[in-house]
Amino acid sequence: MVSLWRTLRNMRRTGLREWWRQLQYIGDAKSGRFVGRDQFGNRYFENLNAEEEVPGRHRWVDYSQHEYNATQVPAEWHSWLSHIRKDPPTEDAVMQNLSPPWKAPWTENLTGTRGAYRPYNTVAPKILTWEPKSAQREAP
Amino acid sequence: MSSFARRLALHPSAIRFISRTNAQQLSVGRRVYLRPLSTTPKLLASDHQHQHGHNDAAASRAKYVNPYKGGPSAIDKAVHLFFFTEIIRGMWIVLEQFFRPPYTIMYPFEKGPLSPRFRGEHALRRYPSGEERCIACKLCEAICPAQAITIESEAREDGSRRTTKYDIDMTKCIYCGFCQEACPVDAIVETQNFEYSTETREELLYNKEKLLANGDRAEAEIAANLHADHVYR
Repeated sequence: MVSLWRTLRNMRRTGLREWWRQLQYIGDAKSGRFVGRDQFGNRYFENLNAEEEVPGRHRWVDYSQHEYNATQVPAEWHSWLSHIRKDPPTEDAVMQNLSPPWKAPWTENLTGTRGAYRPYNTVAPKILTWEPKSAQREAP
Repeated sequence: MSSFARRLALHPSAIRFISRTNAQQLSVGRRVYLRPLSTTPKLLASDHQHQHGHNDAAASRAKYVNPYKGGPSAIDKAVHLFFFTEIIRGMWIVLEQFFRPPYTIMYPFEKGPLSPRFRGEHALRRYPSGEERCIACKLCEAICPAQAITIESEAREDGSRRTTKYDIDMTKCIYCGFCQEACPVDAIVETQNFEYSTETREELLYNKEKLLANGDRAEAEIAANLHADHVYR
């Protein structure tokens, strides 16, 4: 996409199979350091060489699912992918120390599916609907 | 005298204003750098003379300096005008950009940079022990300019006051961040998640359970961001 030379170089580095996969998803031939893999199998890469990758495009993710979605990236890796944290969560001591034991498993945005959030009231309703009661009338 | 001073000379009141302020500030001596207008040293020197004599007379005595001296001649400018050189130079810059690598970020594979202070989807946090932080002080509800937060509270069985209802209407929220600034216990925070778009409007009416679930699954990121930013708070 960017240049023939860059495409050929990255194709040689990553291999034909990986290049073809990149072409199906990210649409560009990229090569870089494999940084880590999260619990869902998404793979994260980084290339800090500004000659090879335009700064701002130097961190990327390879989604494991075909129906990929930005919310499939868990929060810790989202922090790294959005350039908030310098180090990936596998090496970030601050992030690891601040992970509580009661941390809930990550879920992607489930809107449009049966698992979507539906709002409900967490307190008892203060206004009750009127339930009409009619007294029996005596027959004349 | 420069052309700027000549323009000022058309307005004697302006000259008088400048000289008065200069007189005030020169009397201080050390605060000369606080002049109201950024001017050249030459102009300042002439202003300094103005405050001794008559302002209008000093302006009329000023020496005329050709502002076009040293610039391109009329023929040069006419050549550039009639041969469209500016347009050609502009088109050349566009052509250079055509052969350069694009800066397009391939979302969602690559993402733009975010700040640890980014204000996205809301979450209610817990203490490291697992106890929920919110004490139902309703400061966030009071400060919310969009009035998107609704809180009801009750005493729990152990006597501590907790919210029974903590609703945020995300369609009303303007993401100003006042709620997290008002919170005395860092309970309500705005996370870095902005990818919570929904298919229906109802799904954006968050209740307490949803907000707590947001905090439970992103606590590591929230805490790391607060840690990164705590020295500036």
